[in-house]
Amino acid sequence: MIRWSIPALVVAACVGYLIYSASGGSAEYYLTVSQLRSHAVAGDVRVAGVVQGDVQKSDGGLHVTFTEKDGTASMPVDYSGTLPDIFRPGITVVAEGRLGSDGVFHARTLLAKCPSRFSTTPYTQ
Amino acid sequence: MILGYLGAGALLAALVMGGFSAVLSFWAGFQENAVMVQVGRRAFYAAAAMTVVAGAVLMWALLSHDFSLAYVTEHTDLSTPTALVAAGFYGGQEGSLLYWAIVLGVLGSVSLVASASLGLKVAGCAAGLMAVILSFFLVVLALVASPFDLLSLTPPDGLGLNPVLRDGGMLIHPPVVLAGFASFAIPFCFASAALLAGRPDSAWIAHTRRFALIAWSLQTTGLVLGMWWAYHVLGWGGYWGWDPVENVALMPWLATTAYLHSSMVQETRGRLRTWNFGLVILAFLLVVFGTFIVRSGVVPSVHTFAISAIGPWFLAFLFLCIAFSVVLLAARSGVAGGGEHPVAPVSREGAFVLQNLLLIGVVAVVLWGTILPLVSGMFGQQRVVGASYYERAAGPLLLVILALMAAGPLLPWRRAARLPSLRALAWPGATALIAVAVLLVAGVGSIPALLALPLVAAVVATCFMQYARLSAGWKKLPSMTNASAWRMRWLVRRRRRYGAYLAHLGLAVLVVGIGASHFWQQEKDVTLAPGQQVTVAGNTLTYTGSEQRQLADHSELVASMRFGDATLEPALATYAGLGGQALTHVAINTTPWADIYVVLAGSNPDGSAAFRVFVNPLVSWIWAGGAIIIFGVVLGNLGERAPAVEAVRRRVAASVPG
Repeated sequence: MIRWSIPALVVAACVGYLIYSASGGSAEYYLTVSQLRSHAVAGDVRVAGVVQGDVQKSDGGLHVTFTEKDGTASMPVDYSGTLPDIFRPGITVVAEGRLGSDGVFHARTLLAKCPSRFSTTPYTQ
Repeated sequence: MILGYLGAGALLAALVMGGFSAVLSFWAGFQENAVMVQVGRRAFYAAAAMTVVAGAVLMWALLSHDFSLAYVTEHTDLSTPTALVAAGFYGGQEGSLLYWAIVLGVLGSVSLVASASLGLKVAGCAAGLMAVILSFFLVVLALVASPFDLLSLTPPDGLGLNPVLRDGGMLIHPPVVLAGFASFAIPFCFASAALLAGRPDSAWIAHTRRFALIAWSLQTTGLVLGMWWAYHVLGWGGYWGWDPVENVALMPWLATTAYLHSSMVQETRGRLRTWNFGLVILAFLLVVFGTFIVRSGVVPSVHTFAISAIGPWFLAFLFLCIAFSVVLLAARSGVAGGGEHPVAPVSREGAFVLQNLLLIGVVAVVLWGTILPLVSGMFGQQRVVGASYYERAAGPLLLVILALMAAGPLLPWRRAARLPSLRALAWPGATALIAVAVLLVAGVGSIPALLALPLVAAVVATCFMQYARLSAGWKKLPSMTNASAWRMRWLVRRRRRYGAYLAHLGLAVLVVGIGASHFWQQEKDVTLAPGQQVTVAGNTLTYTGSEQRQLADHSELVASMRFGDATLEPALATYAGLGGQALTHVAINTTPWADIYVVLAGSNPDGSAAFRVFVNPLVSWIWAGGAIIIFGVVLGNLGERAPAVEAVRRRVAASVPG
């Protein structure tokens, strides 16, 4: 039994260390717009909110600015890259990036909440 | 309307039969009452049959566009092609749960037919456990998430399927993944039944292994198909995003991979018994956990899921399963024990043990990354991890696993290896060193690439050495009169091992594909006027112009790009009927060495268009590797007769005194 536990403990310690060091370095805060507004966070964060109607595309659609809002708080977002297919006003997006000193959120990636096969809007009569 | 009542009635009948089977099978199993065990098993068949009937009714309702059913209205419409209407069956929460119950019922019945040889107690308990799990799903289907709910007013047309899902991949990926998920329940039932009955000898291993192998093969196929679908449809240039939904499909696969290897130690050496029970049970618990995560929306995911009433039900079921498994393993590990003699560290079984521990380590890494938002949310602000966490935490573990794949098969069973047997390791070692040299000459500086690819080369060398041994043995076979038939049998007897090495080779090919596309992917965002060129990683593309096409339910902006002799046509479709939703059609030019992957972002009034161009090296190797893995597993196991239970028992009895 003793000889069994030693390799198991060694592997467990290694895995624990890897998890600890990796998650310490790359875990990001997941916030709503109002949470981001109420306390500033250093470094990259992910911010979830609803896309407003002021979507401005330029550069053939590779550059986009829009306002992300949740409840009462809103923030301007600036993003360069291809947009998720379902991106349009009214959907929820998760922007990953950081809030610049200009007050604009510079997104590195933009994830749209996928209208998964498990969530069609219920039919209302 | 009538179909709704029919389906709901069938579900109710199935539930009654399932509950009856559960109670009777346990009672008869512990009484060792042969007749009643048989009756309990037949009640399970009846429950499975009624579940299939319910499924047939739902399929009929979908195909006949019976919009009085809420499910049909919400997931299809009259314009959806018939194949996709049928796919609507598992396209929604309720239907996918019904599909799951059908797979469980049918595969469970098949596994029970052959279970009589395990003894009355084990057979009874296995049928009882299976009936409990099936009944749980039927309760959820009948009470909480019924696909047969009726609308008070029948609408003229349905809401239709999201265009993202209107793809051929929708027809194969979800059913395979769901079937894989459902089938992990069967090994769990037999392992738990063997423990419950106090019969933890090796007979259950032989029986369980086949179903674990089926579940594993389905899940492997499902994972690769899912990657293929994401790559070809979603247009972000990648195939794996470490999303919770992907993670929960990966974890039971990892645990079962560990089991398929450690079960060999039990078959050959009679060791690791309790550990094997634990792995089978863990795989099923991870499936239930994953279903809870995916269907309840507790973790932020790119896939949003309707936050439905089934979350608490699955949470309760998860706790029940965990409590049952922990108590069972704790109470019976003494009975199972017996095999925990020390293992020589440098031996075949030593390699298996280390590989198992590392695979479970990878499960722990993935699990932590998946639940971190939940855990951190409890103690403050939610935090999430991205791909870099998984690469940094799981990467080193996966590298050691690759090294074990290269060294393990060459180590002898049983005793600590002595020098002569270690000499075989020189071949994979030399191959790895040559690979390092080649990569250095080619100017590769990335340390992970310099570790991973040479290790893959070593794995390939090891597999070829095994095939060389096979062919040497073949040549040494004595010649006799009916030699060819005898030689065939000789080969067939060894096919499991050589099928497994083929699977290892497939994994090596897949890892090369993942490694190359991960380390050397190149991308470029570019806006081009007609006639302009862009060069990415030495590949030159010329934009020749774009046109607008009007189709039945959507319009398409199609751009043309010339690439050598080929023309790539990335497009951007817009569905006016669905609030102007866009759908990107990626254009991919595939060669064995690289994919040119072009996404059209949009066009400007002056006729120029914006593109994102990726060059993804060796991506096609991933799909090829997946196919080789499945081919190897099928070749090694198809048509395997009820594995020689007796032979296994004898072998184990010989190796474990008492």
